[in-house]
Amino acid sequence: MKRIFPLILITIFLASCQSLPVINAPAQSADGKIFACPSPFLKERYRLIHAIEIRTAGDTRGAIIGVTLADPATRLISCAIMTAEGIVLFDAEEDAGLLKVNRALPPFDSVDFAQNMIDDIKLIFFAPAGKIVEKDNLPGGAVICRWREKNGGWIDVLSNQQQGIEIKRYSSRGSLKRHIKFGKTDKNIYQNIELQANELYSYSLLMTLIEAQPVKEKLLINRAQGKKK
Amino acid sequence: MRTRYSLFGFLGIISGLFLVIISLTSAAADNFDQLRKDAANIKTIKARFMQKKSMKILSKPLISQGLFYYAAPDSFRWEYLKPLRSVVITYKGDTKRYIASGGKMIEDKTGGVQAMKIVLNEIAGWMSGKFDQNPSFAATLKEGAYTEITLTPVGKSLAGMIEKIKITLYKKEAAVKSVKIIESENAFTQIDFSDVQINKIISDKTFLDVE
Repeated sequence: MKRIFPLILITIFLASCQSLPVINAPAQSADGKIFACPSPFLKERYRLIHAIEIRTAGDTRGAIIGVTLADPATRLISCAIMTAEGIVLFDAEEDAGLLKVNRALPPFDSVDFAQNMIDDIKLIFFAPAGKIVEKDNLPGGAVICRWREKNGGWIDVLSNQQQGIEIKRYSSRGSLKRHIKFGKTDKNIYQNIELQANELYSYSLLMTLIEAQPVKEKLLINRAQGKKK
Repeated sequence: MRTRYSLFGFLGIISGLFLVIISLTSAAADNFDQLRKDAANIKTIKARFMQKKSMKILSKPLISQGLFYYAAPDSFRWEYLKPLRSVVITYKGDTKRYIASGGKMIEDKTGGVQAMKIVLNEIAGWMSGKFDQNPSFAATLKEGAYTEITLTPVGKSLAGMIEKIKITLYKKEAAVKSVKIIESENAFTQIDFSDVQINKIISDKTFLDVE
């Protein structure tokens, strides 16, 4: 039994992992029209403030406030995390692949945290870099568009009547690493966002919009101390 | 662990400021000895507060609002109503932090509460008006249109987190005007108090029931 138990665990683990679905169809709908990909992404510079609930294993662990300043044209990101009490736990920015961490307190001070956070923000707010490699109409009326990332990974953007718009990021091996769901709403599409991260220690973030504001001025970042990705 | 302590130390210090600063309400005092004597008369405090967080990434301050309750010697409730509802409650030495989730208040499980307890013990000294006796800060008092107390971190535990704390007290009225926590040149938190009520009865339920 002792020998079988790990196998059972592995089987359950593999069964629970989602992998990259196959897309066969060309970039045309059933009636022959070329369809547009779902685009939940920013069209202009924006500042967004969210209340963020952190969950692990289904339990809420804590809540923070996240501020994001994003320019889709230049793909520049500036972000901060603070407590309700106003304590800034994390403050970083990325411009042209140069990451600069201005402040990082525990538990947000790990080596990979900053880059993962910036990558997650870009995944939510920016259209994937590169070209679309596949498009399809899935059964049930869903539309899916797939991008290939430089690192060999994949990004799917899906839209359907029931689920609304979703983004899925897969590793180069095809395992699902991030799953983002935008809540269906007549308000701002960023009103309710759920991000599920599948890592060694998986977690999910439930983001509720506090404030969204277009930014007129150009964003400038001091690149002197940036770290190339 | 030290850094973790620093973070929650910062949290505790801010919360401690609510206690200590409001307790130092008889701001006509012109020295710390007088402030200590005045603090001894405070049994309960209730106040509203508005917190304005300013930092480079924000074009305008992020405004939070909440309520503060204190009952001597060691019970308090520090509650943010918006934009992110959270409550820190200390009752007879037991400290808990709650956050809103799915319409309910649930206990914060990040483990920070234990660290907060340590800090609150330190703050107990401030509670009794020993404002200039906290080894973590050097305190100066300046009289002008208002009484202004400036706290500057001394040790390394708060290095890089707090540059300075400025507390402004009304000279004649029994009320605290504001607290300004300066983190850096571009980041600070301003907390303005209003509707301060001293020595009014506060039910124990306030410190027991999070809802």
